[in-house]
Amino acid sequence: MTKSYNKRLWILDLLMLPAGLIAFFPFYLIIVNTFKTMQDAAKSPMALPSKWIFSNYVQVFEETSILLSFWNSLTITVCSVLLIVLIGAMAAYPVVFNTNRFTRFAMLYLLAGFMIPFQATLIPLFQLMSGLQLIDKIYGLIILYMSGSVFVFFLMMGYMKSIPRELPEAAVIDGCSIGGIFWRIIFPLLKPITITSIIFQTMWIWNDFLAPMLFLNSTSKSTLVLQIYKAKGEFTVDWPMFMTLTIVTLVPIFIFFIIMQKHIVKGIAAGAVKG
Amino acid sequence: MTKFARQLQFQMFLLPILVIYSVFTIYPLIKSFFLSFTNFDGYTEAYDFIGLKNYARIFSDDAITSAISYTLFFTFGKAILVTLLAIPLAMILDQKFLTRNIHRAIFFFPSIPSGLLLAYIWGFILAPIGSGVLNTVLRELFNIGPQPWLSDPLLAKLSTIVVATWAITGWHAVLYLAFLQSIPKDYYEAASIDGASRFQQIRYITIPLLAPAMTVSVMLLLTGGLKVFEIPFALTKGGPGYETYSITQVIVLRGISETQYGLASAMSIVFFLIVLAIAIFQVTVMQRREQGLQ
Repeated sequence: MTKSYNKRLWILDLLMLPAGLIAFFPFYLIIVNTFKTMQDAAKSPMALPSKWIFSNYVQVFEETSILLSFWNSLTITVCSVLLIVLIGAMAAYPVVFNTNRFTRFAMLYLLAGFMIPFQATLIPLFQLMSGLQLIDKIYGLIILYMSGSVFVFFLMMGYMKSIPRELPEAAVIDGCSIGGIFWRIIFPLLKPITITSIIFQTMWIWNDFLAPMLFLNSTSKSTLVLQIYKAKGEFTVDWPMFMTLTIVTLVPIFIFFIIMQKHIVKGIAAGAVKG
Repeated sequence: MTKFARQLQFQMFLLPILVIYSVFTIYPLIKSFFLSFTNFDGYTEAYDFIGLKNYARIFSDDAITSAISYTLFFTFGKAILVTLLAIPLAMILDQKFLTRNIHRAIFFFPSIPSGLLLAYIWGFILAPIGSGVLNTVLRELFNIGPQPWLSDPLLAKLSTIVVATWAITGWHAVLYLAFLQSIPKDYYEAASIDGASRFQQIRYITIPLLAPAMTVSVMLLLTGGLKVFEIPFALTKGGPGYETYSITQVIVLRGISETQYGLASAMSIVFFLIVLAIAIFQVTVMQRREQGLQ
């Protein structure tokens, strides 16, 4: 019994090997080509380098403003995500703990936001952003991203409903103000859902291409994704350079993945089971 | 403290989200709707109401009709392919084989980086010329001549679906995996005592109990698919011709690049209605299916 069981699982390892290799192949391809010269990469893109070179990595930092782009991406992502989570959590507070006609209306009003794709609002948004002089401004993009708080609001609302109502009521008796209850009691309790929200919003904003493409023009304000887009035009023939840039931009997201993998998987599972 | 002041203190917490959401989502949506009935071109202040003319023009504009049909083809193609691959993948990754964790990581990782970046990597693999990686493999292993992966209309469409599927299947497998792990093991034990084969167990226990996961997964695939932009943009730039233009790309082209605000706004509204219709349809159908299966 045990023997056949093991044998079957050993077959799974064998069976999954080619699938895993195919899934991983694109990453192998870019990694290996970063250590080649242009000629070497063009001649045999899949082989290991005939001679290992590391100058591409030096060149990427010298010729592109990748560190600046990294800084821009970081600023935009961190500021937007913090504001989104804060605004979303704040909004859930009166809806859950002070339900009345107004909060019910506000909830329905925000619910509509789920169904409105960003693309459907694009043209007036573009006019609005130029009207408010928010185009080509890092903070302009941050303000725009804050509309992502609607999604977080619903996550927070769902979670907040599980907090016992006696908790804020007891705090009122102890003389805690309405604001104090939120900041000192409710918000700290939201930690698990806050982590989930931060992860998903970070992945969205860090990777977003459409909004930076439309609303950031100057090179000095490029995000990493925008930098990749511009480099594609710049290094059309220099594959090794482009791939090196790609690898360098993948490093932070890979570190994020390694640290957060458990939380990401938990977030997907929680979202799915609830939904 | 008066009741009013108390209420005000509470409602202040809703103020930021209501302001941001009204200004950056609701107002633009209403304005899209308004502009879709005008011939506003973005430059001249004066514009006229032209009724439904923009909506009629949508159907005679090659780029737009092509974008709608491509986006729907991509959305359903990807949703079907991902679902067919993610469920068996989740079942395999649920087994305790030696390299399970490494496989989970390999399949899941592509869902983390930006789609633009991933599509560019695939651009090197699918490069239509003989030096493209895939064409090199085909030539050396099977002696097949170079295939126009990204320049033939049908192949280009299929290529974008394959790349998108590669990128997101692991993510959906993780979603199914969460549900698989919540199925009590007793069910399978009881079934096998009753003489049910492994296949029957999958058919009558696993699949029905995965129905709620499927509702969520397919909904995410459909709404995400309709908003597709980066992958075809990076792989084919929308070409050949307008064959792989996504709806998003055509809105940017007609609206922002060519400043045909009226036409692009009409397109935005149609897009909004497509998203709405598919979401409502999908949720009602899938929920009925869930009830039927359980």
